[in-house]
Amino acid sequence: MIVVGLVIVALALITISFRSPTAGALHDIQGAGSTALRPFEIAANRVAQPFRDAYDYFRGLANAKDDNKKLRREIAALRAKDIHRAALAAQVPALLRLLHFEQGSRFPSGYSVVNTAVLTPPGGPFAHSLAIDAGSSAGVRLDSPVVDGAGLVGIVSNVFPETASVTLLTDPDSFVAAVDLKTGVRGMVHTGPGGTLILDQVGKQFRVNAGDKLVTAGTHTARYPDLYPYGIPIGTVSSVSATDTATYLQVQVQPFANLGSASAVGVLVTKKPHR
Amino acid sequence: MTLGDGVKAAALLFVAAVAQVSIFSGIHVFGAVPDVLLVTLVALALLRGSVAGAVGGFFAGLLVDTATLGTLGLTSLVLTLGGYWIGRYGETTGRDRAHAPFLSVAVVTVLYQLGLLVVHFVLGESAPAGAVARSLLPAIVLNLILTAPIYALVRRLLRPVARDELTAEVQLLG
Repeated sequence: MIVVGLVIVALALITISFRSPTAGALHDIQGAGSTALRPFEIAANRVAQPFRDAYDYFRGLANAKDDNKKLRREIAALRAKDIHRAALAAQVPALLRLLHFEQGSRFPSGYSVVNTAVLTPPGGPFAHSLAIDAGSSAGVRLDSPVVDGAGLVGIVSNVFPETASVTLLTDPDSFVAAVDLKTGVRGMVHTGPGGTLILDQVGKQFRVNAGDKLVTAGTHTARYPDLYPYGIPIGTVSSVSATDTATYLQVQVQPFANLGSASAVGVLVTKKPHR
Repeated sequence: MTLGDGVKAAALLFVAAVAQVSIFSGIHVFGAVPDVLLVTLVALALLRGSVAGAVGGFFAGLLVDTATLGTLGLTSLVLTLGGYWIGRYGETTGRDRAHAPFLSVAVVTVLYQLGLLVVHFVLGESAPAGAVARSLLPAIVLNLILTAPIYALVRRLLRPVARDELTAEVQLLG
């Protein structure tokens, strides 16, 4: 009988939680519970940190030789690029003015950043979200883009007073308008077959090359504002292919952000009072 | 199950749940994540029976859903059924068998993943069957590695109860 009762309670909780995921008494209770558990999670992370550091140290030593060679090659390549970029830099102010004019957006001036720690990284193949240690009290809002040091991580999908839930780029329901920085081709980044990220809806007449960098496309028209401001790095094109039967190019994307084990992220909060 | 045992079991599951969501969920080996909470629950259910397994699974699942800000009750449902099933196994054919914890962990790891897959599918959420299938074997291996130390720890904290106490609910047919 106890087991049957527990199963019924669990089913009732699932039903209530599923029907009203962002509001209601159960949402508040979950928020309070999450806040209560936060100190324990932080304590666990602190206890585990020395072990993580030790693991990272030894892994770093093991990879140091390879990294050294790789970095030397990168330095040589960057030195050559640096000269080229110095010449291009003279044109930047004019291009920036033009870009701002064309885009009609004021990123990043229209946004402020809330930097926060990741409380629970995504665990397992079902998890396409992570919990962060900042909520509405820190200014985090629903549908705010989330980045790590390298690029776009996802978007805030649920906000509690002290915590928030972030839906990752890899979530099947996540769609991000993106633009190829090199060719200017636009498309939609989302999860494709096998869980890999793809740049979709790119016609075969357009040109996208492996190694091209993708950033968020941002708002085109004020009537249909995008949730993501222009210019957040998303990833690199890892492969491009086309078949005779497919309408679009098949473009695979390697994300810049470390989606599996990010430890700290920044939430881009718009300065506008209401969105 | 005495009050002292209940407190110990609750503390064990609480620590395991916090460690799972804070530390172990960030460890990915060949797409699988070691599940210290599931292994702890299996050990508890084997040593204290089906009711303790079901109740422990329910509240441990609730903790996980609360900490991860997931759909409340989802993990509870699967862990309740898993804890109950392993508890019944411990009360009947699995008792006094040295391989019982390992067999239970291997089987319940598969059932837990499949159970989550089904519940997610029913709710219309992401249910990546291919990814789950690929991660099953590494998940079993990782959980089996955790089984011996965790079972020994739980057994040390919760001494095995008398056999007749565990089998009180079993009805013999025929």
